[in-house]
Amino acid sequence: MKLSVTYAFKAQQEKVFAALVEPAVLQKCIDGCEKMEKTGEDIYAAHLKIGVAGIKGSYVGNIRIEEKNPPESFTLQAEGKGSPGWVKGTAKIQISPKGDGSELQCESEGQVGGVIAAVGSRLVEAAAKKMLGEFFRKLGQQLDG
Amino acid sequence: MVTTTENAPEVNASQGYFGRAMKRVEDPRLIKGIATYVDDLKLPGVLHAEFLRSPHANANIKSIKTDAAKKLPGVLGIFTGADVNDKAGTIPCASPLPGGKSPAHTVLAGARAYFVGHPVAVVVAETRTIARDALDLVDVDYEPLPAVIDPEKALEEGSPLTHPELGTNVAFTWSLPAGDVDGAFKEADKILKIRMVHPRLTPMAIEPRGCAASWHAGESSLTLWTSTQIPHLVRTLLPGMIHIPENKLRVVAPEVGGGFGSKLNLYAEEAVVSYLAMHLDRPVKWIEGRRENASATTHGRDQIADNEIAIQKDGTVLAIRSKIIADVGSYCQLLTPAIPTLTGLMLCGCYKLKAVRVDLTGVHTNKMSTDAYRGAGRPEAAYMIERVMDLVASELGLDPVEVRLKNMPESTEFPFTTATGLMYDSGNYQAALKKAQDLADWPKLLEERDTARKAGRLFGIGLSTYVEICALGPSKIMAAGGWEWACVRIEISGKVTVITGTTPHGQGQETSFAQIAADRLGVPIEDIVVLRGDTATAHFGRDTYGSRATALGGTAIVMSIDKIIEKTKTLAAALLESTPKEIEFKDGKFFINGNAKTALGWGQLASEAYVAKNLPAGLEPGLEASSFFEPPNCTYPFGTHIVAVEVDRDTGQVKILKYIAVDDCGKQVNPLLVEGQVQGGIAQSIGAALMEKTVYDENGQLLTGEFMDYAIPRAADIPDFVLGSTVTPSPSNPLGVKGVGEAGTIGATPAIANAVVDALSPLGIRHLDLPFTPERVWRAIQEKEGQS
Amino acid sequence: MIPAAFDYVRPATLDEALGLLGKHGEDAKVLAGGHSLIPAMKLRLAQPKIVIDIGRIGDLRSIGERDGKIAIGALTTHYEIESSDLLGRSCPLLPEVAGKIGDVQVRNKGTIGGSCVHADPAGDWPAAMLALDAEFEIASPRGTRTVAAKDFFVDMLTSAVESGEILKFIHVPVTAKTAAYVKFAQKASGFAVAGVAAVVDQARKAVAVAVTGVAAKAYRATGVESSLRGLEISAATIATAAQKAADGVDALSDIHASAEFRVHLARVYAVRALELAASRG
Repeated sequence: MKLSVTYAFKAQQEKVFAALVEPAVLQKCIDGCEKMEKTGEDIYAAHLKIGVAGIKGSYVGNIRIEEKNPPESFTLQAEGKGSPGWVKGTAKIQISPKGDGSELQCESEGQVGGVIAAVGSRLVEAAAKKMLGEFFRKLGQQLDG
Repeated sequence: MVTTTENAPEVNASQGYFGRAMKRVEDPRLIKGIATYVDDLKLPGVLHAEFLRSPHANANIKSIKTDAAKKLPGVLGIFTGADVNDKAGTIPCASPLPGGKSPAHTVLAGARAYFVGHPVAVVVAETRTIARDALDLVDVDYEPLPAVIDPEKALEEGSPLTHPELGTNVAFTWSLPAGDVDGAFKEADKILKIRMVHPRLTPMAIEPRGCAASWHAGESSLTLWTSTQIPHLVRTLLPGMIHIPENKLRVVAPEVGGGFGSKLNLYAEEAVVSYLAMHLDRPVKWIEGRRENASATTHGRDQIADNEIAIQKDGTVLAIRSKIIADVGSYCQLLTPAIPTLTGLMLCGCYKLKAVRVDLTGVHTNKMSTDAYRGAGRPEAAYMIERVMDLVASELGLDPVEVRLKNMPESTEFPFTTATGLMYDSGNYQAALKKAQDLADWPKLLEERDTARKAGRLFGIGLSTYVEICALGPSKIMAAGGWEWACVRIEISGKVTVITGTTPHGQGQETSFAQIAADRLGVPIEDIVVLRGDTATAHFGRDTYGSRATALGGTAIVMSIDKIIEKTKTLAAALLESTPKEIEFKDGKFFINGNAKTALGWGQLASEAYVAKNLPAGLEPGLEASSFFEPPNCTYPFGTHIVAVEVDRDTGQVKILKYIAVDDCGKQVNPLLVEGQVQGGIAQSIGAALMEKTVYDENGQLLTGEFMDYAIPRAADIPDFVLGSTVTPSPSNPLGVKGVGEAGTIGATPAIANAVVDALSPLGIRHLDLPFTPERVWRAIQEKEGQS
Repeated sequence: MIPAAFDYVRPATLDEALGLLGKHGEDAKVLAGGHSLIPAMKLRLAQPKIVIDIGRIGDLRSIGERDGKIAIGALTTHYEIESSDLLGRSCPLLPEVAGKIGDVQVRNKGTIGGSCVHADPAGDWPAAMLALDAEFEIASPRGTRTVAAKDFFVDMLTSAVESGEILKFIHVPVTAKTAAYVKFAQKASGFAVAGVAAVVDQARKAVAVAVTGVAAKAYRATGVESSLRGLEISAATIATAAQKAADGVDALSDIHASAEFRVHLARVYAVRALELAASRG
């Protein structure tokens, strides 16, 4: 499952980058993120309750920030498991100046397994798109007010 | 669905039972819901097991944390591979091929899980609900690895390995060089090439698997009740796994809700549940859920074949070269390697090919293993050869019926030995074909197609003239004996008990064996009980699969009855002060030749035999005999199926308009049962042809694990059948019976396939693989129309 | 196949149900016919701590005329709709849709309200609701509010019903007989791969066409509608207009049908729905 998202910010490139590698900001932007704790350099343990409508599952896992190249790019690796199954995703983020603000491009790749993969495959892609969209909208709110 | 049966064998109701279309004695209890399946068993103190299964297709298991789950009230224990694997053995494969490489498959995963559904741990609890809740608390740390999914890519250099320790994804190779293939290809006028894919299928028996085990500590013996087709084979194979003597194990198949080959196996769960019952000294029960069944019960088929066919201009098919890749999944169960070899052996179909060469490669991928599924290798063969015959016809501009007739042996040429070395026992392919054409009103069908085509409709006619191999089989070719056993007992009351070593699970032998026995003994059928499925009662047997029960089990019954009649003649002679040579047996009575007034019936004779006051010297009391029937050959049922379909050009949907089947299974004990088997077989073929396919995604996730996504036919999908039969007795057994359990599944898919391709042929489509889902058909049409 | 543990309560009135829902919030799920919720619970994809069974709230199971429209209680079963004489006469699209849902067992238990609130992207009702411009009457402790169909189906599995609210009634207009619902069913589940509801108003030369199963939520095929506005409905005009049946829509893709095939089917079934609807005039 591959998704591509582009988002424009009023905020400048450096500000966007800084926000994205800040766990407190990440937690606010991930809908259903109940906990995010630093467990190592650029590694965070996370508790997520995500899904669509009533079909929400609790996932425990971690998020790693890699290949940091401030203020232009980094890669986010996430994996989690819960009773509905497991999720794994990679997002390559690129931020570039655009006009007065900046533009973010996110190329993400994800995999799921377990019950959700078997019975919910059509939900998974839609849920992922929605989550990604929500994430950047919330980030935009955080940054641009 | 309406069935019209043409020409049911004529039976006078006042005469014998053999040949009579009787309702089954099994059915009232099944329909009323008072039959006992594994889940109905009430075992005092029973514990419930639930298996935690890998959600990864391939992963190292770094750790399994069970503390939280163990704390749940009602949980008696949580067991992993470390706890049970050295106590419950590895899954046996009874048919390994020379040079084959497969992992030693432990009952629970060891260091690695290698298919989605692989059992990793088992929870035992007081209730099933608690056991299921406990599964959510077990924390397994998996390290996912790349999954091997595509069997052709798996053979490429540099592919990840399903089992790194084996160094290869090749599970086995097998070659069948039969006749001078190169010579035949040199002499050919034309060589046709065609690639054919038979998708993986999920058997989906209505009752998923399940078992319950009870350890009798005082006797150190175990009883295992299991939803199985093979209690005897389980009793042979399980002892070595759980370290219990064979004669301390009783295996019982209670009512079994369908098997279709998916229960022709010994499974990890059976060994684990048995071990747990012994270890915990309490009965343990496990019932499979549907998703488990879809992911961890054997799958069927899954072959890719590249075929080359050497033909003459006049339609003679000289030879076939076939390279087959069989995706056998991640390990071998009981008969995994044997199944595709049956495809090779039956590849000539009912034709006089000069030569055949099959090169088979079994490939390990991160999927559940494949094994027998109704037809077990023969549907794949029939699909290929019958598509080939149509391809030959279309390539040469010949009539597909004429091409078949040209290559068939005459009925006088039997027994007929094929290029692959099989001796077909008897056959009259031409008669079945003609009868099917008559029932189909062939000329009218051709006219209908003409008219439809002129109106631009995609109307197609397909046929298949199939043959198959069943009634397995002579012990020389079977892994652990191919004989069958029966015991017949005249009780002291004169009632009759028949014990069969076969294990019917829906086939109806409780009725048909009673019919056979009733006729042979001359007793009312109501006086006969047929017992099966319990190794304590049917102490020998080779169970039910390969359409063998009636041919082999029925014969063993007849042999036993004949022994009893012999003995009873001696007893009657003594009682009538005559000699055995003077005693005649007719209509259930023994009398001195020519003097009906001296007649003695079974009731009297049985009483004498057991009360034993008047037995002649040397004659043992009792009227019971058992026999083993060792068949001299398999049997080869055959038939012709004719199908007319119409394809909706806009949606790709295929509608079956007409279905005619003429099947020859030799003599028919009960035509109602024959009809039922043919209907069921055709229904499963319709599924395989039009809608069924087991799908794993590129990560090895099973996407067809529920009936929400795996489509099987419903009543509305099944057309009205016109069924007929011809009767060509088998010389392979005294009953003349061939077996019909799988014939429908073998003959039907190719006929439907040929019909669909015929419907699409005006567009220039030459071949299309199964299943003919609407999108697949639509795309084929789009591709062709895009080209024009 | 065994749900996680849950509490079960069966309120007798709507107010009682709303009270319970308010009290338990995120921990609760409303149970109507159960044929979407219970399968999800059995797979443990949904794990509500408390199930509020509203199935016995009698006032919500009804079909009646009200203010020139037809009010259908949210708990009315698909079968009750399928067999309703009133609807057969006054809004025949609905019985036609009902008869195509699932199978007999599902139709006897499943409810129109439950189905709409569940908002399955492949459910049959949303297409009809959109084509009819139905109105959804939603109850909460604060009173009732009405939401138009076009605002009711928010996203995949998400309706406008907020937590703490319960759908009460669905109001549909009286229509002519020139309406139809056709669908290409997913072979295994019976859900719509493409389902098209069409309502034809021959006098006004206007059509309403709604499509389900093709995208993340059901939608009005406005491209088709505007292409036919003011034109005579004929095979030719339908054929041209129907090409727009999936315009501007992100089609779903799964093992049963690719996005491309879904788009194609939307067009094919738009033709079939419009032709069938028009033929009933």
